[in-house]
Amino acid sequence: MINEARIITQLKDESQKEAAFSTLVHEYQEVLYWQIRRLVLSHDDADDILQNTFIKAWMALDDFRAESKISTWLFRIAINESLNFLEKKKKNTDIVSNAIEGLTNQLMSDPYFDGDETQALLQKAIALLPEKQKVVFNLKYFQEMKYEDMSEMLGTSIGALKASYHHAVKKITDFFQQND
Amino acid sequence: MNEEKYLDERFGNENPFRVPEHYFDEFPQRIMKRIAQKKRRRKMIRWGIAAMMTGIVFSSAFVMNNFRQQNTALESENNQYIEDALDYSMINNMEIATYLTEAD
Repeated sequence: MINEARIITQLKDESQKEAAFSTLVHEYQEVLYWQIRRLVLSHDDADDILQNTFIKAWMALDDFRAESKISTWLFRIAINESLNFLEKKKKNTDIVSNAIEGLTNQLMSDPYFDGDETQALLQKAIALLPEKQKVVFNLKYFQEMKYEDMSEMLGTSIGALKASYHHAVKKITDFFQQND
Repeated sequence: MNEEKYLDERFGNENPFRVPEHYFDEFPQRIMKRIAQKKRRRKMIRWGIAAMMTGIVFSSAFVMNNFRQQNTALESENNQYIEDALDYSMINNMEIATYLTEAD
């Protein structure tokens, strides 16, 4: 665990900035990667987005006012980058439903996906959710993140997050009941 | 919540995704390399802009100087023209002065 106050001081000092940022990358790369990967599914896309997240953070370091935790700030950049990526992908894909239809096969042939067909189907059911529900479901179900932390990160009330999660769980369950 | 229990029992929350070997060992180096490249590029752009500004200042000074020299040349050319015209009309300064006092 890094010392937030110390790392912020180092980040503001030009002579220590690069070393401090490298510490941040080491500390948060994995947790951010998994957050991104669960949203975009492919490793290559997750890798691109993770790089963009850190590059954007580096470029915006002077604007970081330490009003939120560094981790919250980085999570926010990562989520925004992932959602922008999904939005662009949606615009570039003529028939979105076809892309989601092929998702199970795509995952099963992905060398970096170890799950079985049921796991691939779960990913497909998650991919069908609206973006916000997708984010909330992944954070709660897989990462077991507290609603309080999620609220700070996403700027959404705890009540709205609970409702989003409830809707997401209901939709995924319905998806399987229809497909079983 | 029954539905949540259903999901948990059927899928669990294990991570089915993997990353290439040594991915997280190599990632920080890759990102710091990109940042170093960005810093270099920024520095080059700054130098480029500074060089361009210096160029603009020097070329403006050169153009202004040329313009001034041309104006001085034109002025002396004009003075010469008036003197020549007076010479050609065969009137000297004395005659002009006499003409002006007689007119009173």
